[in-house]
Order: sequence, then structure tokens, then C-alpha cells
Amino acid sequence: MALSTHSTPSGFLLPSVHSAPPFFTEQPNPNTQAHLTEQWIRLILTYARHRRLFVLRVEDAEVPGGHWDEILRNERINRRILPPYLSSLMAAMVAKNLAVYDPPKQTRAVLLYWRLPEEWADVLHSWATATGQLNTILTFYEISDPPIPSPLSDIPIPLLRRAITVLSRSNRAQIIGVADGEGVRFFVG
Amino acid sequence: MHRGVGLAAFDREQVSQRFAELSSELSKTQVDHLQSQLTQFRTALSHFATTHRDSIRSDPAFRHAFQKMCLSIGVDPLAGPRKGGWWAEMLGMGDWQYELGVQIVDVCVSTRERNGGVIEMGELVCMVSKLRNGEDASGVITEEDVIRSIKTLQPLGAGYEVLDVGGGKKMVRSVVKELDADQAVVLAEAQVEGGWIVEAILENRRGWTRDRARAALENMLLRDGLCWLDSQDEHYGRAYWVPSAMHWDE
Repeated sequence: MALSTHSTPSGFLLPSVHSAPPFFTEQPNPNTQAHLTEQWIRLILTYARHRRLFVLRVEDAEVPGGHWDEILRNERINRRILPPYLSSLMAAMVAKNLAVYDPPKQTRAVLLYWRLPEEWADVLHSWATATGQLNTILTFYEISDPPIPSPLSDIPIPLLRRAITVLSRSNRAQIIGVADGEGVRFFVG
Repeated sequence: MHRGVGLAAFDREQVSQRFAELSSELSKTQVDHLQSQLTQFRTALSHFATTHRDSIRSDPAFRHAFQKMCLSIGVDPLAGPRKGGWWAEMLGMGDWQYELGVQIVDVCVSTRERNGGVIEMGELVCMVSKLRNGEDASGVITEEDVIRSIKTLQPLGAGYEVLDVGGGKKMVRSVVKELDADQAVVLAEAQVEGGWIVEAILENRRGWTRDRARAALENMLLRDGLCWLDSQDEHYGRAYWVPSAMHWDE
């Protein structure tokens, strides 16, 4: 009954703790739970990065078939994380500024920061520079859904907006109102 | 404790003094004879130590035999640089022993959050060996080496102790909180099932009452952090898992 790592169909290596049945139960001992919360958070963020998933919902623990099944369930040991536990983990991530409730004022869905807004800001500015798009006006849509896949592809608009806000503080970007939405102009950093 | 053990006890001044006391009983020739024998012995030991230092460090069987020999002649090579210093200097065994002690502490501290401060001996030996692989590729660490090293950690007062939980299994405790007898039984039973334990096992195999079983498990869970809860157990609903009795591959 050795607990070992396991590779998922999507090519992600699950840590050995994921093979332990009690990992899927919220622990009553606070020290133990603090330790396991850290493990879960690391797992969630690493997986999100691997699959480029930006959103985690309580619903992902309620209904199978979503993007998170490889993490939230372990068919080999017949265990799954229950919705209240996932909700606690989401709250923990928000408290550590590793996620935000999005949309705001609800607690069923979070936007994950597997890259912090500051890091996204740098990625964004580097991409704009490398593709020769400084000083031109780009719509948010052009950034999150570019014709050629980029590091910014599929980035949720709220996260993109945060990254731009970070850039604007150092005068590397400016939000511009465009015809039917928002646009941005990047400047040399 | 280890005062005067090892050849440092036989330093020249003490020897001369003791012989002076004896001289009224023994003739001078006998005294000279003794002194030259001691010098010969010291030289031979010194030669032995430098010749075999590497073998002692790298070969556990040789090391075991060497330790037994030392014990039988009343010499303690474990004594650190300050006490019984001669051996330590010749062999560097004191340093080796302390280095192993530090690595044991390292593994115990880093796994403490997971297992509550109790680790199975096999797992400890395995993890310490992995730590060492980088530096001492030729050396093999045995359970005996670890047990001996843990003895040197006792003065730390941090509770490092080897526990025998029956069934040929040993655990190493690294927290001050002592395991009570019931917890030791729980650990032993958990070993059998690869870490899994429920009240029913304690009732059926050990004849405990339900209350006693529940109290032991709940204390280990809530008070001591020595086990984890699984609320999705197919048969029992609520089961306990003891991380120190589980086999972790990493």
C-alpha cells in the first residue's frame, strides 16, 4: 500500500499525498489542516498553471466532468473533495492573496493567481514590446484572444485589467476608452 | 558520564602519578614493562585507527564489529572532540556521529507536520540515506547507526527516543510529548494495515471497549496530531490514518 506520485492523462504529476484517502477530508486538528491546506493550495495553483485554468468554482466539486476532475477526485482510491472543503480552500487562497472572488461579493468562484498581477504585468509589457505594439491602442479583446497564441491567450478580462493597472502605476500603460469597450496603450518601460 | 574513557584517560601525567603510587608495591622493572606495553598499545591503536578510518565510515559491517570491539575494551569512540578526544581525532568518528545526528534531526523536523513527531524507523533511515547520497556515496547507513546517533541526541532534551511498538517495528519520537501505552498499541495496529485504523480493529483484536478505542483515536487526532481523519471510508464512514505508519514513496 505504498503512496506514490501519479501521472494524469493530461501529463500532470500528482504528489504522493494525493493518493492518501484522508487528504480529501477537511481535518479537525488545526495544525494538521494548516499543513494540508498548504499542500492543496500548491497543488491547485500548479495544476492551474499546467492547464492554464484561471477560474475555480465550488461547482467543480459538486458536478463531475469539469476541468478540475484530475485534482479534485481520485478514482483509484474512490475519494473526492467535498464542496464545503473546496470552499474553505478557496477562502484560504483569497486570504493569502493567491486568488480573488470574481465576480466580487460572492464566494462560489475565484480567479486564481498562479501568476500574481504584478507578474502578469511584466509578461504583458514584454509581449507588447516584443510584438512591436508599443504606443498603439489595443483592445482588451485583441490581447486576450490574439490571432497568434501568446502568453496572454485566454487571460480573463478582470485579471488583464489588474495587470494593466499595475503597469499604469509605473507609466508603462494607460487605459483608453474605445468604441465599445476598453483599450490600452503601452509605453516603453 | 564518559570522563576518563578512551585513551585520553591515559595521559602521561596521570600515568606517572598512578605509577608513583604503585611503585611501592611493584618493582621498577615491572613498572617499566607496563609503561612500554602501554606505549606499544597506543601506537598500535593509532595505526589501526588511521588505517581503518575510511572502512569504518563506509562499511557498516566493519563499523559494527569495530564498535563491539571498543565496547569490550571499555573505549568509547563516540565521545566527542572534548571528551575522550583521542579517538575522535584519530577517527573523526565523533564528527561523523554528530553529522548523522544533525541529519536525523533534519528529517524528523521536516516530517513533523505530517506525522506529528513520530516517524517509522525504516522511513527515517531511508530519508537520511537520501540526504547523504550526495556527499558520502560509498557509505551505507544502518538502523543501528541511527539508533546509536539518537542516543547522542538525548542531551538535547527534545525528546528524541526510539520506541519499540511490537511486531518488529520501531518508531522514532522527536517531540517531548510521550506516547502513552494505548497510543503505542494504536501505532502497532496501524502498521499492520499500512496506516489505516478504526475503532473496530482495537475492539476486535485487542479487546478494548468502544470508549477506550474512541478516546485513544480522538486524542491522537485532535490533541496530538498523530493521525488524519478520512470521512469517506467505504465501510466505516469514519476512519483514521496514521502518517508515520503509511508508506510514502517520496
